[in-house]
Amino acid sequence: MTTAPVELNRPDVGEEVRPDLPWLTIVWNDPINLMSYVTYVFQSVFGFAREKAEKLMMDVHHKGRAVVDSGTREEMERNVEVLHSYGLWATVKRDD
Amino acid sequence: MSGFRRSGASGVTLRLEQVENAVLQNLVEQLQQMLGELPKGDPGLAELGISESTEAPADPALARLFPDGYSGDDDASGEFRRYTETTLKDGKEKDARVVLDTLAFDRRIELDADQAQSWLRALNDLRLALGTRLEITEENHARFAELAVDDPAYAMFVTYDWLTQLQDSLIHCLWRE
Repeated sequence: MTTAPVELNRPDVGEEVRPDLPWLTIVWNDPINLMSYVTYVFQSVFGFAREKAEKLMMDVHHKGRAVVDSGTREEMERNVEVLHSYGLWATVKRDD
Repeated sequence: MSGFRRSGASGVTLRLEQVENAVLQNLVEQLQQMLGELPKGDPGLAELGISESTEAPADPALARLFPDGYSGDDDASGEFRRYTETTLKDGKEKDARVVLDTLAFDRRIELDADQAQSWLRALNDLRLALGTRLEITEENHARFAELAVDDPAYAMFVTYDWLTQLQDSLIHCLWRE
């Protein structure tokens, strides 16, 4: 953490710095998809390491749903479309 | 009980009994039929990947294969469905065809990495369809395992359970475990 004035220290804001992105990809728990399969899909679709994918899968399993990604609305719709192609129950949601 | 085995750097193999082959072929053909029940819509728009469906299918199994893209927002879900349903359906039809084209019982089935992905998704579609028809929940799964042999749901559950083991063995192969 820095205490220096923000104006002086703020880096050049380029294309890669993204402002608050208010859209989320949610995956819902369902009784049919296998835990191994959901983990595998998270790895394939998002490029997560096995451990991170498993943790997210357990979040979905125990909490009923979990946020798996955030970004623009278009990006989240693309995610959901891909997750639907794997048969996961996913939705787009505006962050609140 | 058969299962997938690793083959080479990224392939998998599977040996099916004649009866398993017949069951799987029959299930995939039923899936194709179900997919054919989706509304066709305007052919010109369909070519652009746009369907006329804005509502989830009435059949619960079909609705599970084509879920809403938004929760609690019918307008956004409808619009999402119009632009994604055709592509989603095309993908499922392609996966089903790959399974039918590679199915065999008189020799070992050998799948490359892409074909294995098609099998993975198609097996999942079959499990989603069967599981929805059986009304499987996390709570009643144990009850299904204790069904009497003469229960009408018995054969369907045994098939579902077999698909589960088959899919799980494929996933572990894809992990190269």
